Order: sequence, then structure tokens, then C-alpha cells
Amino acid sequence: MAEALREQVGEVTDYLSLRRIHKRFGDFVALHDVSLDVRAGELLCFLGPSGCGKTTLLRIVAGLEVQTSGTLMQGGRDISRLPPMDRDYGIVFQSYALFPNLTVGENVAYGLVNRRVPRAQREARVAELLALVGMPDSTAKHPAQLSGGQQQRVAIARALATSPGLLLLDEPLSALDARVRARLRGEIRGLQQRLGVTTILVTHDQEEALSMADRIVVMKDGAIEQTGTPVEVYLHPATPFVADFVGRTNLLPAQRDGADRVAVGMHRFQCEINGAGEGALRVFFRPEDVVVRGVNGASVNSASARVEKVEFLGAYSRLTIRLEGIEQPLFADLSVNDMAEFRPRAGDTLRISLPPDRLRVFGA
Amino acid sequence: MSAAGAPLGRIAVPARVLRLRVHWSDRIAHGVLAAAGLALAVFLLAPMAAILAKSVQDRAGEFVGMAHFVSYFDTPALSRSIWNSLWVSALVTTVTLPVAFTFAYALTRSCMRWKRVLRNVALVPILAPSLLAAISFIFWFGNQGLLKALMGGTQIYGAPGIVISLVFATFPHALMILVTALSLTDARLYEAADALGTSAPRKFVTITLPGARYGIISAAMVVFTYALSDFGIPKVIGGNFNMLATDIFKLVIGQQDFAKGAVVAIVLLVPVGVTCAVEAYVQRRQSALLSARSVPYVPRPSRAFDWSMAAFCWTVAALLVAVLAMAVYASFVKLWPYNFSLSLDHYRLGLVDAGIFPAYLHSLELAAWCASAGTVFIFVTAYVLEKTRGMDALRPLVRLMAVLPMGVPGMVLGLGYIFFFVRADNPLHFIYGTLAILAVNTVVHYYSSSHLTAVTALKQIDNEFESVSASLRVPFWRTFARVTVPVCMPAILDVSRYLFVNAMTTVSAVVFLYSPRTALASVAIVNLDEAGDIGPAAAMATLIVATSALVCLLYHLLQRWLDRRTQAWRLS
Repeated sequence: MAEALREQVGEVTDYLSLRRIHKRFGDFVALHDVSLDVRAGELLCFLGPSGCGKTTLLRIVAGLEVQTSGTLMQGGRDISRLPPMDRDYGIVFQSYALFPNLTVGENVAYGLVNRRVPRAQREARVAELLALVGMPDSTAKHPAQLSGGQQQRVAIARALATSPGLLLLDEPLSALDARVRARLRGEIRGLQQRLGVTTILVTHDQEEALSMADRIVVMKDGAIEQTGTPVEVYLHPATPFVADFVGRTNLLPAQRDGADRVAVGMHRFQCEINGAGEGALRVFFRPEDVVVRGVNGASVNSASARVEKVEFLGAYSRLTIRLEGIEQPLFADLSVNDMAEFRPRAGDTLRISLPPDRLRVFGA
Repeated sequence: MSAAGAPLGRIAVPARVLRLRVHWSDRIAHGVLAAAGLALAVFLLAPMAAILAKSVQDRAGEFVGMAHFVSYFDTPALSRSIWNSLWVSALVTTVTLPVAFTFAYALTRSCMRWKRVLRNVALVPILAPSLLAAISFIFWFGNQGLLKALMGGTQIYGAPGIVISLVFATFPHALMILVTALSLTDARLYEAADALGTSAPRKFVTITLPGARYGIISAAMVVFTYALSDFGIPKVIGGNFNMLATDIFKLVIGQQDFAKGAVVAIVLLVPVGVTCAVEAYVQRRQSALLSARSVPYVPRPSRAFDWSMAAFCWTVAALLVAVLAMAVYASFVKLWPYNFSLSLDHYRLGLVDAGIFPAYLHSLELAAWCASAGTVFIFVTAYVLEKTRGMDALRPLVRLMAVLPMGVPGMVLGLGYIFFFVRADNPLHFIYGTLAILAVNTVVHYYSSSHLTAVTALKQIDNEFESVSASLRVPFWRTFARVTVPVCMPAILDVSRYLFVNAMTTVSAVVFLYSPRTALASVAIVNLDEAGDIGPAAAMATLIVATSALVCLLYHLLQRWLDRRTQAWRLS
């Protein structure tokens, strides 16, 4: 039912559909039964640790690798067996792959020359694109004369020059230093939204995925763990892996204790258990979910915690704490204001509480 | 949502491997690759197969099994050459290696001055045909040699002359490999050793030698193979001392015993094949070291060490120059050893008037063809092999054929060419006796290093250029012409120069293949020497060295000009 509905809606908005993609390299299964849809105009992010198959999946979309089985539809056209030359996409690699002996202008015009675009029109297009990526005066320069971030922009301009239906970005920011990376994130996202070009971004950086994507596909061991908006993925991770990979997390072994309660050691915590099953469970919460303000003995899910370590991280401080009777250390992030008020130091005891709506329970 | 959308459990197992449709532009790449593979099969594998076939057939073409091998090993006069070739090559290796290592060590680890000059002098023997050394030593120590008195009762002709000439000829080859190996060592290892208070000899044994071990083995293999395969030196200065390479020549040209010649060729192929396999293996280990990120070693001045290293290097350089200079000098001497006045007689009378000078022009023509068409073939083949996709079954085969010539001595390759192309029923028979067969043979003979140079350069450029081009729907050949060739131009010029110089100097393969219309300068030296015209032989050798040197200079200038023109983008 839901499937049928989704298919119907999909016909209207899905630009790229992958169905049951498998990829084997010899005995190694790189992708296992991957199906997903990319909506027209969205920025979809493949997120996962190295070796999870995200780059392989991107290369299959580009036709640079061949899936062992499965089909790909792009804009209503079956591209499963089309060579790269017959597909419709622009790609930016981690290395940028700018042609070193050609000028910036020649690089950007590279795909236009072959399409017999008249010179004047070509030059206008190059100027337009370079202005778009914020590098209007660099036409005559060579790539080696540009910084990493500038090269990145030229690579994007080159990929967009032929107005492809799909933009593929393979770890485009990982070769840059942190400051440039943060700025380019916003710029790429802005550009993508202005042009409305359907984009797939591959990254292992969860912060990049959260800040740029319309939707995130979290992958692990060649399979999709969860697909959802950044908020969904962050607040409602579908699996312990997603919870742990996206953001920091505390994960504790627990037992079911009634309809809406789990037992962790001697502690009882109220929470929602949505069919996570009976018996052994795991309960998860993020460091920033730990509350210290206005907590007393009567507060729900409160516990006494011993502070083991305080780590100053700028905008917030990360405390390593231990709950009574639980061996495993936990993390709690306190804002600057909380820190100023409570002044926790190693050895202190602190009363904390875990809001029930922030606790998530998984089967063990 | 999506993973859950598909019903689980029934995972489709494809009946056959899914393949992408092949774009027409890729078909062109496949066509080029197939043509290159076919060319290598015809001009490398088929001649080698012809040798194998010949070794088990009698004159009538009937199969005779191992009969020729049995009779070969029953003829002590012939099978003795195996031992001769092996011990001479081993001796050459044990002499060349320490000298080249010390020289390389001085160039990389000392602060002596004039390193560039020393290095260039040390590489000079590469510009000369190997038999120049032999001719020169005859002038120094031969029957009428200047320093014959030093020889006491012994003769330079035979093993002593062969060994000393081969040391001269192999020295630069070992030196280049060892310089590379020694410049690879990571300076941080020495800093760590210094911090721990390690003594200099201990640093040498625990850091320097292990770091250079692959280079040392590799250099040993190259020198051994060179000595084993060389034909010119034993031919000119060997006297009655027989080696495998000269045996092939005698059997085939002298006695027209093709089957025996084929047997000796196979006997020669075995040790060369083994050493080349070791070399190829070691080379791969070496390049693993190269890719590691290391800090280059910068030597610190040390008076005593630098001076002793400089003394050693200048001595070696003086000896090398003495060898070269003697051949040049002798080519101008009017009538050795009776009239030492200088003249151009050997050039004018001995070469031009004797009608031998056209051989020099043929050599130039041959070298020009190898350096142009040969380079294009090698680079295009390396490109389609490394940078295009599809035809995956063929690629390993072409790759193997590209490195195979390294293990085939010139004499063996040349013999194979006769056997294969001399047959009138071969559709390619028409190239027999032309300059074309010489050019093809020379390119194949020197294929491996040229191919590896091209591949190394291609591997250094971004692997995604072709992917980006495809995404922009630009066919690969446009990217090849606009990007790959300009970026790889230094390597292409290197290959071209290497082929030119080797085409000028090689003797071994072409000695079987030239015709009166296509006589070559290097072969003319052998013939002049055989006729006792050692003065004109020296003149021809001098001409070749001068030409090679001039051409290297031209390539160098071209490279400099190119560097200046491209420095805008070669910033890194």
C-alpha cells in the first residue's frame, strides 16, 4: 500500500531511481541490494565510513563502475547499461581532476568546445559560470596558480557548464582545510539551490551531510541503514549504527521494565519503546540531551552522576560522567551557561536527568 | 524506506555479468589496443616462436625433437661458451657494482663539488656503441697498443679485454639505478639514528644498505644481463674466447647452421630470462618504497670524506674519459702506431671514399624513425593500455608483451626475425631487407624501458581525467591530444631520445637483419674491425658518439624550452 503510493508520487518527482543494485568485486560484496530514489532538485548525501560502498554507488550512477545487477532510471530513461559518454551528469572528484595545462577558462569550456557551441556564446557561458562560483577574474589563470578552494570552484563550474541534469560530488571538500571547507559548504549548497540541479554528494563527514543535504542516505557495509532528512537522521536514528555514526552518542545496555520503562543497572528510565522487542535492549541518548539545570530528586529519569573529567571545547564543555552502579562512562555536553552556573569539576557529584522523549531504545 | 521497499529474500543472481554498452569512441580505443597487441604478437612473439620451432627441426623442416640440443651439449667447443658467458658476466658484475655504488654514494651522500659534471661524464658510455670500449682498449693495450708493456706477457684479446670493456659499458647503467636507489632513503631514519648516537659504519649497514638493497639487486641483474647479451665487445676484443652471443653469430652467419644457432639462442634466453624476472620483481618492490612519503636526505659537509669521495670519482671519470678519448684520438691518427700525426684520413678515405659513409646516414634515418614513429607507437599503446576501459581480457596480455623484450637479448630477437620474416610465404616477407624491419626490430628490442617510462608518466597524472572527459562527452582522443600528451611531454621526449641513441649504437639485433642497401654505422664498425681497418672503425664509433651527444644536447635544449613555455602550469 505504502509502496504503491510512493511509486505513484515517485513518478512525479523522482529524477533518479536505483533499483536493487548489487556490486561484487570478486568475493567481496561492495553493494547489497541498494534501492533509492533521488528527487528532482534535491541534494542527496551518501554518508558512511570508508568502505561502506558510497563511492562505488556514485561511480555506478556515473557509469564508471558497472553494477553486478540492478537497474538505474534517470529522468525516465533506463541508463543501466549506458556508457558514461551517453549519460547526463557532471562530476567533481576529490582530486578535482582539473587539466593542469589548460587555463581556468579552457577547463570550464572543455565540454562546450565539443558541442560546437559558437565561440562568443562559449565565452559568455564561461564568464557566467565563473561569476556564479565567485571567480570572475580567473579565466586566464592555470589551476596550479589557484588555492585548493578555488580549484574546487572551477571544477564545479566545469561540471555545470554543459547544464547536466545531475551533479555528482565525490568527497569534494575532504582535501581542503577546515575553514575553507566550512565556507564552501554553504556556497555549494547555495549554488545548488539557486540552480535547482539534482545533486548527489558523497561524504564521510557527518557535519557536512547534516548541514548541506536535503536528505541523507546513511550506508554501512554496502547497504542502506537509513534514509531521511538531516533532522530525522539525527533525532530519530533508525539503527544504533546511525545513532553512533551521526553525532556523538551514549549507548547503554538495558532491560525492558514495563510498557514504557527500561532498567539500566539499578536505574529505571521512562521512555518510549516502539516495538523494540522484549529482553535485552540498548538505550541511546546524545551528550547534549543530558539535563543538569533544574534537576532535583523528584525529576523524571534523574540520577546522581560522578564527574570524572571536564573537557573544554569552546562553545560547550564535554563531561565524562559515571552513573551509580554503571561501569561504562557516559558523555554529557554542558553549555557555557550551565558551566558557569554549576562549575562541575572532576570528583564532583552532579544531579542529572534524561528527558524521556530524548531516549531511544533499540533491540540489542 | 527504499531498502524496505524491495521484497527481501529473492536476490536476483544475474545469469551473466552485466556490461555497459560500448560507446563508439571506446571502440576506437579498443581497435587501437587490439592493433597494438597484434603488432607485438607479430613482431615479438612470432619471431620467438620461430626460434623455438627452428631448434627442433632439421634443415628440411622435419621435427627432430631434442636432437640439436643433445648434439650441442655433446660439442665441448660450443657448450664451453655457457660457462665462459656466465663467469665473465659474474666477474663484470662484481667489478662494476662496487665502483658504481661508490660513485653513486659520492653523488648522493657527499658534499663534493662538480657533481653534475661528474655525473654527466659518468653517463657518457651510454652514448657510445659498446664496442667503442673494445676498440679503445685495443689501442691502449692491444698488440700495437700504447701501454702494451703494462700487460706483461698476457693479451688484452680474450677474457681480460671483454671484462674491462664490459665494465666500461655497463657502468652508467648501474650508476643510474643506484643513484635513484640511494636518493630514496628517508632522511628521518638518519636523524633518528643520530639522536641515538649511532656510529657511521653502523648507520651504513643498518640504514643505507637495506634502503638501497633493491637498487643493488636490480643494478646487478641489469649489468649481468647486459654482459651476457652483448655481442659487439666479445666480437671485437674477444679473440678466440667464445661466448654465447658470438656463438650465435658464428653459427648462423659463418656456418649457416640455423638450428644450432636457435639452440644457442634458447640457451642464452634462460639466464637472461631468470635475471630479468628477478629484476622486474625487485623493481616493483623498489617502487613501493618510492611512493612512501619521505624526507630527502641532505648530506652535510665533511672534509675528509668529501675529498676522498671526490678523489675516487675523478679517478673513475678520468678512466672513462681515457677510454673514450683514445677512440676519438685514434680516429684522427694517420697511421697507428707508425705515424701519429693527426689527419682526417680515416674519415675521408676509410669511410667516405670506401663507400661506407652511407651506413652512417642509414643509421640516422633509422634512429629518426625509431625516435618518432616508435615513440608514438609506444606512448599511444601505453595510453590505451592504462587509461581506457574495456577489453579486460586483452590488457594483461599486452602488458606482458610490453615488458617481455627486456628478457630477450638482441641476438636472439634478431635471429627470430630472420627465421620468421625470411620465409617467402610470410605475408610480411616484403619488409625483409628494408629499413623498416630494422626500425621495428630496434623499437621492439628497446620496448620495455620505453614502455615503463611512458607508463610511469601516465600513472602520475590524475586517473579521473578520462572520467571527467566522458562526463563532459568529450571523446578520449581529444583529452589525449589536449591534456595527456602536453602533460607527459618530458617523458615522451625521454623515450624518444632513448630510442634515438640506442638505434644509433645497437649492434646485436640488427647485425642479422641489415642488407647492403641498409647497412648501419654500428654494424660497419664490426665489419671494419673484422677487415683490420681499426682506424676507420674508430672514426665511425667517434661519429656515432658525437651524433648521440649532439642529439642529447638538442633534446636537452628542447626540454628547457618546453619547461620555460609550460612553467605557468608546472608550478608544483
